[in-house]
Amino acid sequence: MQSNYNQINDWVNNYTEELFTWTMYRVSDTENAKDILQDTFLAVAKSIDKFNEKSNPKTWIFSILNNKISDYYRKKYRQDTKIDLDILSTFFSKDEEWNSAKEPQNWQDNEKNLLDDLEFIEILNYCLEHLPNKFNTVIKMKYYSDKEPKEICQELKISTTNMWQMMHRAKLKLRDCIETGWFKNN
Amino acid sequence: MKKLMQFLFLSCLKATELIEKKLHVQLSFKEKIRLKMHKSMCNACRRYDEQSKILDKALKKQTHKIGNINIEELKIDIKNKISTTHE
Repeated sequence: MQSNYNQINDWVNNYTEELFTWTMYRVSDTENAKDILQDTFLAVAKSIDKFNEKSNPKTWIFSILNNKISDYYRKKYRQDTKIDLDILSTFFSKDEEWNSAKEPQNWQDNEKNLLDDLEFIEILNYCLEHLPNKFNTVIKMKYYSDKEPKEICQELKISTTNMWQMMHRAKLKLRDCIETGWFKNN
Repeated sequence: MKKLMQFLFLSCLKATELIEKKLHVQLSFKEKIRLKMHKSMCNACRRYDEQSKILDKALKKQTHKIGNINIEELKIDIKNKISTTHE
């Protein structure tokens, strides 16, 4: 067992940085990324006997890590079982026109300025983190993980239509939060 | 005439849905025409479209901060965790 133990220690020494960077890239949350990585190495330790000496350890560990990341997203997505999917009624009237209070306002600034504005980006991040988990998850999976829409649907076990609808609601909420936080207070 | 109207006109809800869909997949010819018609008449959805594109770009541009974490400490944490769980 001692040799297994040394082996894992070597892997921890050699791969932690790269694995952590990748995890952060996928989940962008330090504490969760640390937990995921620890879980990954525990899984590595548990199944090291199944590791084929001839294969590349890094590839093997990455595949375990990617599974853990998918589990994390799936779990997070499932957390809000009670989330009000009918948020559309906040934004639109019965005949599906904008409710006047939620109608998009003029942002008075052009795209380039906004994209370079650190305060704007900060509010965007704040609003993203304060979205319900379901919405936050679809957005992060879409924008942070370079996954094809098809893969996202498979991982979350939802239909394509369901995904568009989720994206639509997520963006409505995100846009609204940013407008309230930034433009109406400036 | 009623059929033609139904073909051409979208509600704001449906229009914003297509605006989001368009960022990820190609719209059908029919969807494109309907969205274009709607936007030519609706200020709010035109704005929504512009702002939605800005958000899309801002999200794509996000730098993925690695945060101020000490990798060496993390290595030690992981090793400790492994040794306590597996001995």
